[in-house]
Amino acid sequence: MKKQIAIVEDEPALRENYAAALARHGYSIKAYGNRQTAMQAFNVRLPDLAIIDISLEDEAEGGFDLCRELRALSAELPIIFLTARDSELDAVSGLRLGADDFLTKDVSLPHLAARVAALFRRIDALRRPDNAADIVRRGALSIDGEKMQTTWNGAAVTLSLTEFWIVHALARNPGHVKNRQQLMDAANVVLDDNTITSHIKRVRRKFQQVDTAFDAIQTVYGMGYRWVE
Amino acid sequence: MSIRLQLLIVALTTLVLPWAGCQYARELETALRSSQEQSLLAGAATIANALMAQPQRVFHDSDDARAFSAAAGDLYVYPLVTQPLLDGYREDWDISAEPTPLPTTTRYRARLQAASTEHYLYLYLEVDDPHFDAEPNHVQPDKDRFDRVNLTLQGPGGRAGYFFGTNAPGLIGAQSVVKGDDGVDRVVTEPRIQAFWLQTAAGYHLEMRIPLSFVGRRLWIEAIDGRGSGQAGIAADSPEGGRLFFATAGLDTLLETYIRDGTRATVVDANALKVGTAGNIASRQRGSEESEPIWYRYFMGIDTSDMPTLSSLPDRLSGDSVNEALQGHSHAQWVLGGSSHELLLTAAAPIVIDGQLHGAVVLEQAADQLLALRDRALTRLFNLTLIATASAVIIMFAFATWISWRIGRLRTAADSAVGSDGRIQLHMPESSSADEIGALSRGFERLLARLNEHAQYLRTLGGKLSHELRTPLTIVRSSLDNLESEGLRDDQLRYITRAREGTQRLQSILSALGAAARVEESIKQSERVNFDLRDLLVSAVAAYRDGFPAARFAIELPDNPCFALGAPDLLLQSLDKLIENAVDFCPPDGAVTVRLERVQSNYALQVTNDGPLIPQALMGRLFESLFEQRQGRDDKPHFGLGLYIVRLIAEFHGGTAVAANREDGSGVVFTITLPLI
Repeated sequence: MKKQIAIVEDEPALRENYAAALARHGYSIKAYGNRQTAMQAFNVRLPDLAIIDISLEDEAEGGFDLCRELRALSAELPIIFLTARDSELDAVSGLRLGADDFLTKDVSLPHLAARVAALFRRIDALRRPDNAADIVRRGALSIDGEKMQTTWNGAAVTLSLTEFWIVHALARNPGHVKNRQQLMDAANVVLDDNTITSHIKRVRRKFQQVDTAFDAIQTVYGMGYRWVE
Repeated sequence: MSIRLQLLIVALTTLVLPWAGCQYARELETALRSSQEQSLLAGAATIANALMAQPQRVFHDSDDARAFSAAAGDLYVYPLVTQPLLDGYREDWDISAEPTPLPTTTRYRARLQAASTEHYLYLYLEVDDPHFDAEPNHVQPDKDRFDRVNLTLQGPGGRAGYFFGTNAPGLIGAQSVVKGDDGVDRVVTEPRIQAFWLQTAAGYHLEMRIPLSFVGRRLWIEAIDGRGSGQAGIAADSPEGGRLFFATAGLDTLLETYIRDGTRATVVDANALKVGTAGNIASRQRGSEESEPIWYRYFMGIDTSDMPTLSSLPDRLSGDSVNEALQGHSHAQWVLGGSSHELLLTAAAPIVIDGQLHGAVVLEQAADQLLALRDRALTRLFNLTLIATASAVIIMFAFATWISWRIGRLRTAADSAVGSDGRIQLHMPESSSADEIGALSRGFERLLARLNEHAQYLRTLGGKLSHELRTPLTIVRSSLDNLESEGLRDDQLRYITRAREGTQRLQSILSALGAAARVEESIKQSERVNFDLRDLLVSAVAAYRDGFPAARFAIELPDNPCFALGAPDLLLQSLDKLIENAVDFCPPDGAVTVRLERVQSNYALQVTNDGPLIPQALMGRLFESLFEQRQGRDDKPHFGLGLYIVRLIAEFHGGTAVAANREDGSGVVFTITLPLI
């Protein structure tokens, strides 16, 4: 059975483009122009993944509301914010509402498709019994590449998809400096320097919530970041 | 010319007040003078009329109408106030006039002066005769030769001849030759006519005292040298002797009754000789006023330069007034007279008796009273107008200073309203004032507010544009993505690739446009951490060497770690901008130098390059938002936000960002200062 993806986007041309691109990857697409119609449909049947814009028609924060309601209906449903708004505040708010990823519209369709695929893979992995095949351990850090789960000293660290890929890229080769471009490639995303910096900051903060002494991601000024054990 | 100076000049026009006051005072004085003239003339006429009614108390009957002639031996008899000592000196006569020379045909010189008291006629004779020839004991006046003075008086009983001579200078008596009963001439002494013979080195003085009863209207006096070298005077046998002109006895007292204090009345005869005088010109209150100099007379006093000077002779009066009066016309005149050439008013009225002009009454009055009046008025006027002018000038000056201070304040504020950082100061001084300066200030405020709105709009335009254009750009790009996935032919793919390149450029333009907004946002959310600037620079410069392989980098760092509190990411970002700039402008053979040093309580982080100098005019504006002067040297878009971002980040750290040319002109230095921890 085809996986069903809901796209909630008020810009018709964009909505159609996303729908067409994802349909090409074999997904079944339901596209909605505003929060109300989307919510009606979700109440009838939940999609397997939702891609939501933040501002929806006349509701500037409609996407956030929708995310909240959707999360209330299902804890596992992968939700991706795809928005023109790129402020740090929006990103933090979106992720805090339980979104799995926060993308700006700069993301290319192949990158979007890669994310969608990754998220579905993750859902599948979570449903399967434990398979320790793709687990990276670096000291206190343990990364499950399939389930996209990260633990630090055994405590779970909840990362967005982009953040997970960044951590994954850094931790796989400790000591190696990853520059911003490498991190972007790893995260299947095109971001500007500032955004990478904020991602790193957010990742550090999330680890520090678990362990205040966390200092494994080191900035190499002008070059990038590296994982130190 | 400054407003202050302009208003000061305007204020100086109040100097017209004292000038007008002076003009008024001058007119006042003219009127006063004219009225004084009239009153003095009236006084003179009154006295003349009074005197005309009693001519016998004024003039002696003259025996002829011939004019006074000193050459003919005529003598003015000075009135004496006190009886002098008979001592051969005339100093105690107290007459300033010199004796008049006696007529002579020889080289023998003698001078004579006459004066009288109530009872005596005094004669004083000065003879230049160094050789004393004594009178012999038993003198034979006709034969003996000795120094002698012959005096012939026309008394009531006809002519009487006397002579003086002595062998022992001193008090002597007059001698006369009396024909005795025996027909022999005998020399007898007339004891009532006394004289003092004083022998001096130059000659001798003879002071004679003759009872008025001996004296008629004429006298003959002749000094004869004992050695026969000559004689001076009028010989006793000449028909016309010298006439004597007496002042009228009692006239002084009479005049005294007619005049006021400060006025002198003089009656002159037709020869202008004084026959009576009374009063004193000097006014009583002179002294006190003289002591304080009335300085403004120096530049606005009465012009006395063209006034005639009245020469004061002891025996006669002169001047236009007297001359006119002796022609029969009353006349008044301002003259300079007296010992100190003070301003005098003279008025003369003729005395006409029985249709014949006999003389004149002359009144003299000092202008002192007038001057005192005028001085008082002028002093007050001067003081008042000067105080008024001075106050006006001071007030105007203070006002002008205040106005120009306010305008200056406004100008300073206007000059600095748009700061070098491009920030606009919206509030101007004086804007709450109700006057025109306040209105000007409010006008400035409105202008600045609009400028600020505009600048604000421009500043946010980049962010807004980049945000608003993102969606359509995404539509284009996602459409291209979709199109590409449709399996296109190669030639179609070529166009897709070009369109994609276009969108990428658009993307980078939008990214650059929104950069400042993003930095402002990340500044808001930045946390300050303690970090080592040295480490940051070492690793950053290493990265730049990789990033800009064509450029040469030099780095100069202090030996010790340099800890600073701030956001290293942001700092790195501003360093990126400076390095990009430096690399862009640095010539191919030049070097970009990154230097860190401690300067007082700051770190100075300098990025220098050997590129072209910055024009002085641009220096302050480089760090403004949307300020871009560079000519396209590459294909990257420049919106003049790079250095603005550098500044934002420096200010976030509590520091500054400045640009300067190297002192030796070899390049450009950009400096970020950061405070030490």
